Amino acid sequence: MASADKPINTDVPEKDVFALHFLQSLSNLRRQNAFNSPDDTTNNRVKKIKKAAYVSMARAAGGTNRLWSRALLRRAAKENNKVVIFSRRKKRVTWLRRSNRRDPVDAERLRNLLPGGGAMETSKLMEETAHYIKCLSMQVKVMQCLVDGLSAK
Amino acid sequence: MDVSEKDELRNGDTTANYDDESANNNNPPPDWRVSGSNQVSAPNDSYPPENQMMDSFGQTLWYDPTNVQAVGYGGFNGVNNASSSSSSFRGNNNMDRSLEMGWNLLPPKGNGMFLPNASSFLPPPSMAQFPADSGFIERAARFSLFSGGSFSDMMNHHHQQQQQQQPLGNPTESIGLFLPSNVGVAHNDASAAMKESNVVRSSEQGNKQNVPGSGNVSEDTQSSGGGGGNGQKGGEASSKGFDSKKRKRNRQSSEAGQSHRSQQSEEEADNNGDKKRNDEQSPKSQGNKTNSGKQTSDPKDGYIHVRARRGQATNSHSLAERVRREKISERMKFLQDLVPGCNKVTGKAVMLDEIINYVQSLQRQVEFLSMKLATVNPQMDFNLEGLLAKDALQLRAGTSSATPFPQNMPMVYPPLPHGFMQQTLSSMGRNISSPLSPINGGYKRQEANGWEGDLQNVIQINYGAGDVPPDSQAAAAAATAASLPSSNMKVEP
Repeated sequence: MASADKPINTDVPEKDVFALHFLQSLSNLRRQNAFNSPDDTTNNRVKKIKKAAYVSMARAAGGTNRLWSRALLRRAAKENNKVVIFSRRKKRVTWLRRSNRRDPVDAERLRNLLPGGGAMETSKLMEETAHYIKCLSMQVKVMQCLVDGLSAK
Repeated sequence: MDVSEKDELRNGDTTANYDDESANNNNPPPDWRVSGSNQVSAPNDSYPPENQMMDSFGQTLWYDPTNVQAVGYGGFNGVNNASSSSSSFRGNNNMDRSLEMGWNLLPPKGNGMFLPNASSFLPPPSMAQFPADSGFIERAARFSLFSGGSFSDMMNHHHQQQQQQQPLGNPTESIGLFLPSNVGVAHNDASAAMKESNVVRSSEQGNKQNVPGSGNVSEDTQSSGGGGGNGQKGGEASSKGFDSKKRKRNRQSSEAGQSHRSQQSEEEADNNGDKKRNDEQSPKSQGNKTNSGKQTSDPKDGYIHVRARRGQATNSHSLAERVRREKISERMKFLQDLVPGCNKVTGKAVMLDEIINYVQSLQRQVEFLSMKLATVNPQMDFNLEGLLAKDALQLRAGTSSATPFPQNMPMVYPPLPHGFMQQTLSSMGRNISSPLSPINGGYKRQEANGWEGDLQNVIQINYGAGDVPPDSQAAAAAATAASLPSSNMKVEP
């Protein structure tokens, strides 16, 4: 799960961290009784679960240390009309943004996929993508285990 | 001996020349001429005019080394066919050939006067003792470097100012190549030659570098570079000094096939030492690709200096661009390892597509699993299951405390008995009722302590509900909250 490239560090926490965060968010969902009152279609529930999954993944995987997790959390908070407070990581973020204009067309599709990818330089985008892929696969594993545990009777 | 002579020349003249950055190309030639007079008498006369003629830079350069290396020249004769390929002092094409043959071809086409001189050079008596190609070439290359040093400095000046085609470009090249080929080369090549000389120096350690002349000369330059690196005896020190000078000046970069050179040069000098004229903000990636021909190891500041490679534009933008591109490609390689089944794929576009597909598939998987979760447990009361699942996930070894968990959840992974976890998770239908009951209490206790909020309630309810209802399937089938225990327990036989 954790691998480190020489200059690039894409370490990802173990599965249990992801699982913990995910379950926490799910329990939060449950606490909010999100599913009970609306009694809406499965879609809403699915959406909520999905959002909880992403948010928990962002929290588990990097918190505010990763650009994509920050963007994800910010986006989620905006949906909930919450305000997310990020400790200012580095000034370099804006610096990257400035020098990004040079070649934004290159990996456009990837930018659209990755949360917060539009404001990154291409090399940074690659790095974030690598970390994102790792976290996504971890989250998928956790959810799969959960589903298996729940459904396998 | 000729060799000693050469050394003298080298030490004496070159250092002087190199140190002064002034373009006193005239100085070395006279000195050399003097010292080498015993060997090259006739050519000497031609030298001064040659030397002063900046136009015939290449020629003068060419001659200087020859003077010094009269013996080597002879050696060349023996080694190489004295074909007239060298005629293209000015021409790039024959550079390599001239290198090899080199000395025989002394007179560049453009300069007829050299011819007679060249001929006079031919018969150094002691050629026999000279080693074959490689050694001689090395020495020759060394010399050329030396002589070229001053020239190159001068050339660098020119280059710097003009940045582009220069009439004087040729000489620098020849310097590096140590042969007429340098002369004929265009400006860029000249700078490349400078690089070559740098490279040659760097290849003192024996690296066979691809001295970048023009494209044609690549092979020859390699040999000469290698030879020069190895063969130089006394001049090494001075050449080194010269080298640094040249390095400072020479910003030329060679693109074509200079990868090995840059790699080798990288080995020698660390990136940081290079002084980059261009911009400080283009960090040099650690990979070999970024480094330009020769890296000096004189760190001046904290920046990572990137050196333009031979044949490449030295524009600051292009340098930064190159560094950026290399960074991106490096990260692409990293991604390639990450995405399964991308080992055979090469090319940025295809790789990008693969990555995008993979990310999309992962996102789809997340969505699908969340859908499954929603249907599997509509009440979302699956905390306990999650707990168990979590236990199963990470507590294979049964050591929950080892997990790096947030402090607020120390109890999350209670040290359940291994068997308990396995059973609950692996085989839901297993009946663990009896062992479970005592555990339940403990579990619940722990859980109650550990969990916060409704989780505790849920769990307590679950356990409070009692025993494991046999219908765990009911739980899966969207059991109600009351049936939570059943779904959670799953231990019912």
